[in-house]
Amino acid sequence: MRHLLFHYIRALALTLFLALCAPAVAQSFIEVGNQPPITILINASPWYPGFQSAVDLYTKQTGNIVKLDVTPYNGVLEKARNAVRGATSPYDLLNIDGFWTIEFYEGGFLKPIKDVDPTFELPKEVLACGNNHYWNAAKRWRTPDGGVLMGVPPNCNVHIIGYRKDLYDAAGLPTPKSYADLKDACSKIQKPPQLYGFVTRGERGNGIRYDFMPFMHGHGADIVKDPLNGDFTVTVNAPEMLAALNQFIDLHKSCGPANHASVGQADVIQLMSSGKAVAVQVVIAAWSNFEDKNKSTVVGKVAAAAVPSAASGKPGVASIGNWDLTVPKNISPEQQKAGLAFLKWFVTPQAQRAYAEAGGIPVRRDTLISDLASKPQYNWMAPYLQSVETAASPLGYAEGAAVEQVLGLRLNQALIGEMSAGKALNIAASEIEALFAKSGRKTGKLEPLPE
Amino acid sequence: MKRLGTIIDRAFPYISLFPAITVFIALSVYPIINLLTMSVSTFKFEAGREILTFDPLKNLHQFSTDALLKPAIFNTLIFVIVSVVLAIAIGLWLALLAARVRRGKGLLRTMIILPILVPPIAIGSMWRLIFNYEFGVINQFLSLFELDPVNWLGDSRFALLSVILVDVWHWVPFIFLILFAAVEGIPADVVEAAYIDGANQSQVTRYVMLPMLLPAIIVAFTFRAILAFKAFDEVFLLTSGGPGTATEIISLLLYKTFFVQNNMGYGAMLSIAVILTVVSFLLVSRRATTVFERK
Repeated sequence: MRHLLFHYIRALALTLFLALCAPAVAQSFIEVGNQPPITILINASPWYPGFQSAVDLYTKQTGNIVKLDVTPYNGVLEKARNAVRGATSPYDLLNIDGFWTIEFYEGGFLKPIKDVDPTFELPKEVLACGNNHYWNAAKRWRTPDGGVLMGVPPNCNVHIIGYRKDLYDAAGLPTPKSYADLKDACSKIQKPPQLYGFVTRGERGNGIRYDFMPFMHGHGADIVKDPLNGDFTVTVNAPEMLAALNQFIDLHKSCGPANHASVGQADVIQLMSSGKAVAVQVVIAAWSNFEDKNKSTVVGKVAAAAVPSAASGKPGVASIGNWDLTVPKNISPEQQKAGLAFLKWFVTPQAQRAYAEAGGIPVRRDTLISDLASKPQYNWMAPYLQSVETAASPLGYAEGAAVEQVLGLRLNQALIGEMSAGKALNIAASEIEALFAKSGRKTGKLEPLPE
Repeated sequence: MKRLGTIIDRAFPYISLFPAITVFIALSVYPIINLLTMSVSTFKFEAGREILTFDPLKNLHQFSTDALLKPAIFNTLIFVIVSVVLAIAIGLWLALLAARVRRGKGLLRTMIILPILVPPIAIGSMWRLIFNYEFGVINQFLSLFELDPVNWLGDSRFALLSVILVDVWHWVPFIFLILFAAVEGIPADVVEAAYIDGANQSQVTRYVMLPMLLPAIIVAFTFRAILAFKAFDEVFLLTSGGPGTATEIISLLLYKTFFVQNNMGYGAMLSIAVILTVVSFLLVSRRATTVFERK
């Protein structure tokens, strides 16, 4: 009898404990009610499977149907443009590259989130991600300072260094903290063409422009003087920029493969996954490739490090290349609310955890410092958080796409030796100045560098 | 009554053509007029609406100062000339060879036209792998002879050539199909008469078949050149215009201007320039055809 009573009390205690815990869990997943079906325009990026899992969980929990239009990167922009420029958008949420957001904000195509639901607050745990999801129309700048919330980031894509821990350990090298460390390790470990010391993108266009940014920011250089306050004086040909470019070229030539000037993101991932690279600079979204047994021969051997310091005494600064989930203006208020309902759910801690566990890159700080971070497969979380906290978001102006075209070409020409680094930067400065002058900005440029 | 009948008879062809002309205007003339309007304007979107400002000088100024235009025109010309000449030469050679085959002609023809059936995106992926510096089959093959790997897509000296090779591979079947039909159409008795008169095989080809194939070659050349002027997919997928400006071609510049930079006014002006170039080429080649036909 006493035995039975003991069991009864234990069962009662367990029930009470679960009853107390249950609301806490349920609170994490907010109640969004029944919503009409929505369609999301989403890019087919390495983090997509994680997002899809989060969407499946949303549907399972809420019963609300979400249709995903999965589109390769190059097609997303045109689909989004066509959607917002038409009478009615076929999409209720548009996932757009942070780099494109200005075109959509300035064009007045998107609905500010607070106009859909004035009570919505982005949780304070959500990372700033360069504040690309805020728009200050008066200043024509993406900032929460006087700006309105325009979207929710599904990830804060920043650079991270992936390096072969096994090779570093064998050589007795510590975690790389600077590009000088990476070059030192490269000279000690690499055996080209079997093993390259350090690989980053060099292909013309977005690839080289984006991968050069940590070098540029790390040297304290920038493209424009003070765009936030309307000073668009071009600083591309500053001596700090030249130092950054010379360092970038040197690392490419001494540690990269012979085709370094045409190496794209897929090549960088492939070289690390196939065991042909000691260290790579990649976006965090690519990380899952290294840990996938079907794609990688180095599973469990790759460690992550935050974006390293480029110049002595200066911190490493990553570059933001994130995405923003936004609500188009040209859909019904009901559809806008349904889209926002998903976003509200998506930024809850539980959803973010499920997203991370399925291969996504969470945007909540508390998820990144949770117990997940101590597990080996999430060894990227701490360096990622470190990188994202210091990351910069360049090209935050309407001319950004055109400026990228200029930099993407001139940096590549310097890399392949078609012209000197100084000449490439001088030409880039003149071309960028012309772009700003055409737009009526207050602009100018520095004295030319020696060529 | 008779007069009314005559008027109706005369008007009937025009009335019959009206639906077709309406469709033509809606689908061809209107978009071109729209493009012309865009080419002399600048674009801006505000509050979700497009604002068009008439400003032809702004686009013209960009046209005259665009640093990429000159290499794009130069590379396009190289691309068109080399790829068309190679495709015509190889296509003609294959057509002449295939025409001599007595058994399995259908199978041979099917095999030769296979590349044209492959979607451009698959061509891009496939050739990117073939040209891959580390893992590509060409460099693996070279390594068998202890030759250094070649940076096919990343070296300015080889990039344009590599892209042209892919284009030739892709479009030779198109030339082959046109010329094969023409070779098959040559009357057998003419060829036999030449042999009876003592001509050898190369003389028959040079003095009998080629003159008879010339109209078909000109047609194939014209179509192929128009397609080459508009080439985009291979370059976009393989090199995106790089390294440097080594493979920058006019259609790629147009794409980047229009779709990446969202500079629709200048993009439209570039489109008009491309259309005018292709139309001029078409007129010149038509004139050449007429001259050849008279001869």
